[in-house]
Amino acid sequence: MATAAKTPPTEAQSAPGVHPKPFWSFKPRSDRESGDAIVANFALHWFPAKVFKPSLDWSYSFWLGTISAALLLLLTVSGLPLLFLYVPSVERAYLSVKDIEWVVTFGSWIRSVHRLSAHLMVAAVFLHLVRVFLTGAYKNGAGRGQHREWNWVLGVVMLVLTLFLSFTGYLLPWDQLAFWAVTVGTNIAASIPWVGPRVRELMIGGRAIEQATLIRFYVLHVIFLPGLLGGLFAYHMWRIRKDGGLARVDRVATLREKAAEPPSPTKTYTLLGVARGTAPTVRAASLEARDLTVNSMPDLVRRAAVAVLGTFAVISVLASLIRSPLEEAANPLVTPNPAKAPWYFLWLQEIVTDTTFTVAGFTVNGAFLGGVILPGLILLLLTAWPWLDRSPADATGVWFARSRRRQNLVFLLAVLVVVVLTIVGTFLRGPSWQLFWPWEVWPELPTRI
Amino acid sequence: MTEEKKDRREFLVKVGVGAGVVGICTQAAASLRSLLPNVSYDAPTTVKLGAPAEFPDGMKFLPEQRLFVFREGKVFHAVSAVCTHLGCTVRAEALPQPETMEVGGAPMRVTHRFACPCHGSKYTGDGKVVSGPAPKPLAWYHLTVSTDDGQLVVDLAQEVGRDFRLTLA
Repeated sequence: MATAAKTPPTEAQSAPGVHPKPFWSFKPRSDRESGDAIVANFALHWFPAKVFKPSLDWSYSFWLGTISAALLLLLTVSGLPLLFLYVPSVERAYLSVKDIEWVVTFGSWIRSVHRLSAHLMVAAVFLHLVRVFLTGAYKNGAGRGQHREWNWVLGVVMLVLTLFLSFTGYLLPWDQLAFWAVTVGTNIAASIPWVGPRVRELMIGGRAIEQATLIRFYVLHVIFLPGLLGGLFAYHMWRIRKDGGLARVDRVATLREKAAEPPSPTKTYTLLGVARGTAPTVRAASLEARDLTVNSMPDLVRRAAVAVLGTFAVISVLASLIRSPLEEAANPLVTPNPAKAPWYFLWLQEIVTDTTFTVAGFTVNGAFLGGVILPGLILLLLTAWPWLDRSPADATGVWFARSRRRQNLVFLLAVLVVVVLTIVGTFLRGPSWQLFWPWEVWPELPTRI
Repeated sequence: MTEEKKDRREFLVKVGVGAGVVGICTQAAASLRSLLPNVSYDAPTTVKLGAPAEFPDGMKFLPEQRLFVFREGKVFHAVSAVCTHLGCTVRAEALPQPETMEVGGAPMRVTHRFACPCHGSKYTGDGKVVSGPAPKPLAWYHLTVSTDDGQLVVDLAQEVGRDFRLTLA
């Protein structure tokens, strides 16, 4: 980096790679200072020192991955005070949540932050997946040694983990909503032929939803799943670096290659000491296209801060406006009417309602078809998609590439079906799972017989 | 190093790695096995429901057992309230007019029908599926009279056919 040629004498005294000052500059005066602010900074060292400017565009990625990560952080932070207040026992769980809601100072707000972040995280992660699909960002472009398809697979796994995290958290208040959502959810597992009842027994730690179930879901929710998701998140970020940045980089690199510019000097990560040898020979687009490259400090850091802090701000405000519901304490004797799963599972609940069929006197439970087979196939198809997509490399990192038009349309159609079914399940289903328009009044039904 | 020594070293490395893998797998299996419950402290399946005289003519819902007990004079039978689709508790709706239908080869006066609040399955008064996703009819359970105090006893572990009737003397 040309401008960093002259090193001030004070910096020379510190060890290489260690920033001489305890704080770093948000307004670096040179490339060297800018690089230092990233590399020597624990919180930022996983960023590249330089980034591709078009990768930072709001309208390319909508920063949905960053927003998902910000929500995960917010969930972890807001979960901490709740850990001190919540008691995972069937006798006290409901009362402790009631205390959080009504007695603890700011308890209701903290719970609301946690709950809204969870709901929005499901949405953000899903939209992130949609964005990555529509831009063909799981495709490998110009760089050698890229394996973007694995980052896509990681992303699918993380989406499933996000859903499981949300679902396990759903049971913890031990109210009617929780109890019956989990009854329905675990009975879907029980509908698998032969092994189903055993699977359900393993999930709920017995034959009825009881203390064993609560403690299982609790441990999964507070330790196991967040730990797993955190680890995969780190791996997800690392892979982005190994693959040479967002897919959009490749788009520009490919275009330049086509323009047949003379080859410019390439860089390996050896220079930054990140990897030995020339293994991940990512053609450094930052060197090839200097005019499109900016220092991470401040350009990337500033935008990341806007996305993260913006997410925090939106959630904080929403949480003070929207209270979290808490229904009556769980009562295994009375099923509420209607009994609905969390909204992000309602498209599945719609499907399990309509998929029971009989062939030659043998009836297949819709729960198995709609609740196990269909989601399983969808996940399998999603996972395998990068290997099925045969479009050319220049469709990498472009919104609605012409060569991927057909698959984008099919994908959007599938997304539309899921969204429509979710809306029907959320807003149009009333007592006994009958269809009602939102403006229609639900009939008064006795809650007890 | 001689060939013999080299072979021995390679062999020992393999044994060491193998032992490590076996050890870790065993520990993982033990940890996972501990999560499979050996004992399930379930509610008893044979439950005393009360004296037959306490049951009104028609239907009585017992929420704890999730059970409907029907009575027609001296004839009793019990139908499960657990929906066969995904395990929600079905609701009984009284028919405007009691109907007589053939149930298990004998005529029976039917006073109710059932609807599931979760996914909208509908059943006739004897538990047959009319519509909705339920794959099976509602279960019927065995009823007896306790020999010691004459109470009605249900056996929730014993499903019976729809021709089952308990007729009191």
